[in-house]
Amino acid sequence: MDQPLNLKLASLCLISQSKLQNILSKCGDKVDLIIDPSLIKPLERICGVAWLRQHGVDKIYKMDPQLGATANTVRVYFIPACIQKYKCVLDQISSLLSHNPTLADAKCFNIIIVPKVVNSYDSILENRGLYDIVKLYTFAWELMLLDDQLLSLELPFLYKQLYVEQNHSLLSSISMSLWSLFHVTGRPNCILSLGKLSSRVLDILEVYNESYSRDFLNTNSSQDIGSLVIIDRDQDYPSSLLTPATYSGLLSEIFNITCGQLELNVKETKLKKGKLNLVSSEATPTKTPSVMLDSSIDSLYAEIKHRHFSEVLSVLSSKAKLLKNEDIKALGIQEMKHYVATKLQQVTLFKQNLVNHVMASETILSEMNNKFENLTFTESEMLNNRNKKSNFTYIDENFGTDIHMYNSLRLMCLLSLTQGLSYEEYNSLVSKYLLAFGYKFLYVFNNLVTAGLLVQPSSPKLSLTNLGNLSERLPKWQNEFQTVANKLKQLPSKSEDGKSPSYVFNSGYVPLVAVLCNALLTSESLLEVLTKLSALNELKVGGAVIEKLKEGLETLDERLSNLTVNSVLDFGCRNAKSLLKTIKSDNKVGGFSLKPRTILVFMIGGVTYAEVAACDVIQTLTGSKIIIASDCVASGSDLMLANT
Amino acid sequence: MDDDDYWNTSETKSKAFSFDDDVLSPQEILAIGQKSYPGQKDESVFSSTISNAKTPLLPLSSLVSPKVLDLILLAQSGRDPNERADPDQTVAVTLKRLVLGRSVSLRCHRSLKSKTELLDGAVAIGDGNAIITVVLFLIQSLNKKLVYELLSARPLALNHYISFLQSEGKVSELADLLIMLGRSPDAAMYQFQHIIKTQGNGVDGLLRKLNNLLSNHFNQPGVDAHQAKMVTDYVKLLEWQKCANKAELNNRSTLQCLSYCCEQHWHEGAGNMMSPLTLCQRQQVPPVQYDWVVLNVHGNSNKWDIVESMFTKKDWLGRTTVSSNIPMETLLARLSELAASKQMLATCLNKLPNSDDRLRLAQKYKVHSVVIETLAKQKDRSSLTNYKITLSPQSEEYILAENTLRDSSIKWKN
Repeated sequence: MDQPLNLKLASLCLISQSKLQNILSKCGDKVDLIIDPSLIKPLERICGVAWLRQHGVDKIYKMDPQLGATANTVRVYFIPACIQKYKCVLDQISSLLSHNPTLADAKCFNIIIVPKVVNSYDSILENRGLYDIVKLYTFAWELMLLDDQLLSLELPFLYKQLYVEQNHSLLSSISMSLWSLFHVTGRPNCILSLGKLSSRVLDILEVYNESYSRDFLNTNSSQDIGSLVIIDRDQDYPSSLLTPATYSGLLSEIFNITCGQLELNVKETKLKKGKLNLVSSEATPTKTPSVMLDSSIDSLYAEIKHRHFSEVLSVLSSKAKLLKNEDIKALGIQEMKHYVATKLQQVTLFKQNLVNHVMASETILSEMNNKFENLTFTESEMLNNRNKKSNFTYIDENFGTDIHMYNSLRLMCLLSLTQGLSYEEYNSLVSKYLLAFGYKFLYVFNNLVTAGLLVQPSSPKLSLTNLGNLSERLPKWQNEFQTVANKLKQLPSKSEDGKSPSYVFNSGYVPLVAVLCNALLTSESLLEVLTKLSALNELKVGGAVIEKLKEGLETLDERLSNLTVNSVLDFGCRNAKSLLKTIKSDNKVGGFSLKPRTILVFMIGGVTYAEVAACDVIQTLTGSKIIIASDCVASGSDLMLANT
Repeated sequence: MDDDDYWNTSETKSKAFSFDDDVLSPQEILAIGQKSYPGQKDESVFSSTISNAKTPLLPLSSLVSPKVLDLILLAQSGRDPNERADPDQTVAVTLKRLVLGRSVSLRCHRSLKSKTELLDGAVAIGDGNAIITVVLFLIQSLNKKLVYELLSARPLALNHYISFLQSEGKVSELADLLIMLGRSPDAAMYQFQHIIKTQGNGVDGLLRKLNNLLSNHFNQPGVDAHQAKMVTDYVKLLEWQKCANKAELNNRSTLQCLSYCCEQHWHEGAGNMMSPLTLCQRQQVPPVQYDWVVLNVHGNSNKWDIVESMFTKKDWLGRTTVSSNIPMETLLARLSELAASKQMLATCLNKLPNSDDRLRLAQKYKVHSVVIETLAKQKDRSSLTNYKITLSPQSEEYILAENTLRDSSIKWKN
């Protein structure tokens, strides 16, 4: 099976197809598919309408609470694992049953749930008397290749569940997608994990490995993927909060992008929609062209996606000039025929892409140009812990005037994480936000605190009664961000030249994923990697590199029999700090040479285009290959939206 | 705006986005590219045709062997290949089945010891699905006091239970739990969120629920004073909305209501219920936010006289000065977006003390008179000569520039 990795990744959709086929075959041979609108685009990447027809789907409907009678008796609902959507479907089924009780014995209701049926759904079914009437199916579709080296599970609701609601019920579906992937690519030799969710994903992955070990499986280390880096979104929030400077990054600031498809709505941009609307103006919904952000079908996008935005228009301009020179009026009849037969379609496509990218760039310019400079300057001052007062003034003015539902919150969160907010500052911003958008949003700030995006300062009155804590609270955490960021060299000094990954944030910040990949790719041994990354407290290591270090406790059963309250399993990975100690005392292991040529990065909770671009710099500098995967691609404003 | 000019002024070029001289304008690129542009075709649920454009895929059998594919399908379904009833299920076996999504009955775990082990195991593995399943089993089979004790020592399990109660809308149970754990501020906030998400925009219903919440939960010790004040202010606003009795204002934000008052009741004096000033006082709107609303409401409806009288005043020498709580740069940007008169912009620009700032912004918003005056004050003849070239000949500004250059009273520095 020595196919190029990229082709293997693109073909993962065939496994998804088999999985879906397996489910559909149990539902009947003439069914109505009722699909939640958010799942249409991802499903299109797995199969087409013709394929669905071949596999028993007769009619397709969009899920709607008001949906009336459909063509066939057998219904297959297709929804994401969101409790409201699930209940909505059950309501619909109950109402159908009340009109026609005979349907109960017909076994005609099926619900396919992406990515997983959680156990509480079963109890809800039982509770509503629908058990045995409705059948639930787990559909764990595989990672989708959205763009060259960019994989996504397309589960955009996952961030909210995992970080805001603190509900980890769907965490195992990440493990399962990695487990399937490794059947195709082989298992990585070395795994770095950063964050609690990541280490749990590895633990659950190990449960899958153990339970489904078969003698026909090849457990040798992978030829395709040398290392896996898996990281929780909350380990590097600044990379989500900062304003990106790359083309694709700015696209995601301005336009809606789902499943690698951009809606080129130049009138109603994300920036405009989030502003406080003081004058009622009815927007007429217009059909907007949609643009596939996929380098394999749009070579122009491939060329500009990671560029600093200041370079994009000159690239587009030079392409336009090339086209102009190819003016077909100058061709003879024979040449013309040849041109039409061979190049016309290509040129037409290219022209269309060119037009789309110019329209997108123009929109970015007109919406960002006034603010970009001050915004990125303030952001970089915050990162470096300079001029806190004027940074706060900038944000306070923004909240008082041109406030934005999501982007203003982003700035507040960034200041809170980098320099901290006093009780009065915090409340001044909260008050202005609530005056502008309504007091009903009071809970949003609590959600931001829960998700770790905001630090709520305690009231000064409380701290007076409680002086003991004062010394603990004041100086430490304020500079914790800079301490770690400096140790990891994430804050470049201005004089640095050459291509640094920090360009993705206008030379202000190197995303943590880029630091992790760089450490792996430029170190001789595990010892060196762990030393370079010793500032990261939650770092863990897994994979074949630590196999030799596994002591007596091998199987899950043994591990589980030795637990205490709130203990950590460390089944699929081990704490880096203790590992470092072991290695230092035992040279054999530390000398373990890593040298991965290909790294898979998995970000739990949504990756940003800026991070993808930063990793692209690292792979060019080190001559390696970095594949980025996540549950979705999400901008900072998407993160804020998830908290409302 | 004339875009060609825009791209090529030295001003734009030196900024965050810089361009080569030789670069085509977006309009030019569009003109080259815009032809035969096929839009979206059909309206069916499935619209795009991604798969055709893609490179051919590998055959499935060369991706994974049939055996492996079967295994993958098995894992998705959660079926157990050797389906036989396990007579004595150990805690480990139960947990493993839970994680793998296989059917499992927890009822055989009857002793407190094995229940506790089950919970600790699920927490250690960290699979939320397993955790919540075990917690719900404990709720069914143990008394609440024991369950709460177990949960309070295990934050991860507790969080899952909280999240479960919240998504199920069992908010009074959730409040009881949190109060018992000494977390009344959280209890108050979860209930607030629940009211917001379920109550809709009806003012009466909201008022009743919020007043209730305020007197029963937000007055508890430990609740943040500012949060309690925000809820009180919410109630005040709803009371105002109840009096105003306009359906379109129900549960809208303070500034949205204020903008309505500015539009419809601008001339009503303080004290009148619908007067903007009354609302401002009642909800303690900071001056900067008030100014912003006034600017937007009246600028949008072209009532520039009101904007001007709000933001400018004559001093004792008869000169017009600007006074606004909105920072000058923000004010200028918004005025320009609202298409205010050049004169209005000029008045604001002249307020800027720093002549470099004034020049930069005057150029940005094309307020030629201010550019010319400022360059004259800086005695910068060559810049002014260059600037004159960019103006259209024989326009008012062009003549002003020429006259200024001829002015013999200026001692030019170059």
